[in-house]
Amino acid sequence: MADQVRDAVVPLLPGVERPSRYVDGEWNAALTEKAGKRAAGYRAVLAYPDVYDVGMANQAVQILYARLNALDWATCERVFVPWTDMADAMRRESVPLYALESFDPVREFDLVGITLPHELTYTNVLELLDLAMIPLHANERGDDDPLVVGGGPCAYNPEPVAAFFDAIVIGDGEDAIVDVATAHRRMKEAGATREEILEGLRSIPGVYVPSHGRIRTVRRAVADLRGYRAPVCPVVPYADVVHDRVTVEVTRGCARGCRFCQAGMIYRPIRERAADDIVRDAMAALRCTGYDEVSLTSLSTADHSQFVEVLRRLGRRLHGTDVTLSVPSLRADALTPDVARLLGAAKRTGLTLAPEAGTQRLRDAINKNVTEDGLLDTVRRAFGNGWRRVKLYFMIGLPTETEEDVLAIASLAARVLEAARDSVPSKERGSVRVAVSVSTFVPKPHTPFQWEAQVPLDEVKRRQALLQGAMPRRGVELSYHDAETSFVEAVLARGGREVAGAVEEAWRRGARFDAWSEQFSFGRWLEAFESAGVDAHAIANRERDPFDELPWSHIESGVSTAYLRMERQRAYAGETTPDCTFAGCTGCGVCGALGVSNVIAGGVRV
Amino acid sequence: MSEPRFRLRVTYRKTGMLRFLSHLETVRACERSIRRAGLPYAVTHGFNPHMRIAFGPALPVGTAGLAEMYDLWVTQHVPATEALARLAAVTREEIRPHAARYVPLHAPSLAAAADVAHYEVVVSGNAEVPEALRRALDSIVASGELTVEHKGTQKVFEIAATLLKEPVVRSSDGGAVVEVATRMGEKGSLRPDALVKAALSLADEDAVVASVTRVRLAASSHDGSESSL
Repeated sequence: MADQVRDAVVPLLPGVERPSRYVDGEWNAALTEKAGKRAAGYRAVLAYPDVYDVGMANQAVQILYARLNALDWATCERVFVPWTDMADAMRRESVPLYALESFDPVREFDLVGITLPHELTYTNVLELLDLAMIPLHANERGDDDPLVVGGGPCAYNPEPVAAFFDAIVIGDGEDAIVDVATAHRRMKEAGATREEILEGLRSIPGVYVPSHGRIRTVRRAVADLRGYRAPVCPVVPYADVVHDRVTVEVTRGCARGCRFCQAGMIYRPIRERAADDIVRDAMAALRCTGYDEVSLTSLSTADHSQFVEVLRRLGRRLHGTDVTLSVPSLRADALTPDVARLLGAAKRTGLTLAPEAGTQRLRDAINKNVTEDGLLDTVRRAFGNGWRRVKLYFMIGLPTETEEDVLAIASLAARVLEAARDSVPSKERGSVRVAVSVSTFVPKPHTPFQWEAQVPLDEVKRRQALLQGAMPRRGVELSYHDAETSFVEAVLARGGREVAGAVEEAWRRGARFDAWSEQFSFGRWLEAFESAGVDAHAIANRERDPFDELPWSHIESGVSTAYLRMERQRAYAGETTPDCTFAGCTGCGVCGALGVSNVIAGGVRV
Repeated sequence: MSEPRFRLRVTYRKTGMLRFLSHLETVRACERSIRRAGLPYAVTHGFNPHMRIAFGPALPVGTAGLAEMYDLWVTQHVPATEALARLAAVTREEIRPHAARYVPLHAPSLAAAADVAHYEVVVSGNAEVPEALRRALDSIVASGELTVEHKGTQKVFEIAATLLKEPVVRSSDGGAVVEVATRMGEKGSLRPDALVKAALSLADEDAVVASVTRVRLAASSHDGSESSL
């Protein structure tokens, strides 16, 4: 089949944008024929529901790919959603979606794993299944169809996409995917029916089988990352992808406890990797890939107890080479003089800081423990050390927000601009850039704000206009995330099973690549909600009772609902909650529920 | 330590599905293979140090190449055969180097020196195609010029200035192979598939260009002969 597919694909390539997205042949991609495992083996394909250039940046795909290919009885390939030009050409010529490595149709695989990175990829899940010619609904699939398994952050409220998946992995995937593949293969070899296989998968910790009802499922968590090696030979794309560099995970989890942040709740506890392992993996991965940049990633990299040591050691190893070191997620207070100096020696990309709110009152309410003085100090230090660009992230529509809070974003931006200008030589003041990016708050499941209402669209727009009018006239660039997109995101994040019909309806009306603003159509989504009988406003804009059942109540992250309720109360009282890795246990419950605990590589965080 | 002391000229192929890489993607892929091979490449001085490397003329997306080239400046002498073996070991077959040799440090750049390109254009059709193509190409050559439309603009090429020699048509199983040698001038160069497509439309034959391959690059001399790079 592979040769037929390849022959059918080649004539399409001259007519599409960036044909390298569709050809494989990358360094470190699995050589499925040569491995000799294919004939006897179990075949998995991992899908990221967006275009190649975005999907190839995803760490989870690379980790799971390496894990499955390391098994001697399985091969794993990759697939992404073809861009609209290619998808249309494939449909026109009846070319099925194929796995990149072998050019075999995706529908011929044993397992199709689809990661769910954010809600706006849901229509792309359907696009992917449809192009693969796999029945969209789990209950329409037969014994010859692949097992379609989901995972990733959106698995924490799986209901809006539950109908499309046979099974969904909740939590860390690296061990769970191996368990799923092992059990699936064993049952398939024993001649089990699809229904028997689903029944069997249910007994694997962290695996949720939607067709069996909303059954309580506790998330999977890898207790310690020390025993595990990051994939040091990830696939190296040819195409210019997002985050085109070596990424080394330094910590999983963040306990800062920002109350709007889902990642800060669902990835607990903190699991740091040791400095030795980080340096070793970074150097091995550079050699194995040939990249000229290595990035230390986590939700809050500078919190790592050996952060400065890692920077110093890597800086020394990379000195005098054309390889640079970057840290994508720096907290506003993390740019200490040491860090500024160590990073300043590397390539200076723009500095990105996320105060999220304009006033201290609101920052306290959302538990973003950043002060204005701390922020301005950081800006002065960065610009004094050679940085010339800073990007500030804010949100509009946070719980308890007033007009005063909105207007304060503008005055804070003005003070940042002033601090930046004052910290550079006078003849360079013209090169100082401050960008302000404002998104709309989306209340997310499993956070202290999961019961909150999203501010109605008209009111969001009014507040945006208010801010626009108050912004400094010069020197600050203001950009907004589209408020309509955030509304759809809220519906898809907070809805239950009934929302699946609207997702399908939107896709049937042409929705795909919804995260790409030029592809997103709000009108189409409104029609889809209406046609599917989904009251979108009731889902996004209605406050929930904190003692009511929520669509995701059966999915357990390990953080207790009582803790989330308490955190919400503290938000209203303007009380902050410290980070347990610095100040001792705050009682979120995850360690007891999952039998895990914080792993601090250096023993203590300072 | 990072002073460029030697200049290694590497010849590689770009074939199979990887002919669909853009020039920029190819450049990046070669640079990464050099880092994987651990060759002692020189880096530029300045704020953002980068590898000292220079490529020959770009290939259009979709056109294969059998002998594409880049020059890499290195800080230490590594025997060319060893450098080649190290590069080949860390490169996919479709984009693998197959020759390497040292050239004088101050030799003319590849981009300037490589002004002749030899192509093979494979045409699939039927047994009548080779003869019809020959006649059509003869008449294009006799007319002295060819107008090519590219992205909405028309460009006129003088055949005598743009072609190094008359195209040669060979018969092949189910069609023809056309050998085209073009000069690359400052005003751009004629794409060989454009010439063959023009001939096909003139011949009114039911045939299509199946693939285009740049077989080799060369430098032309004043007397009209050519020399290898």
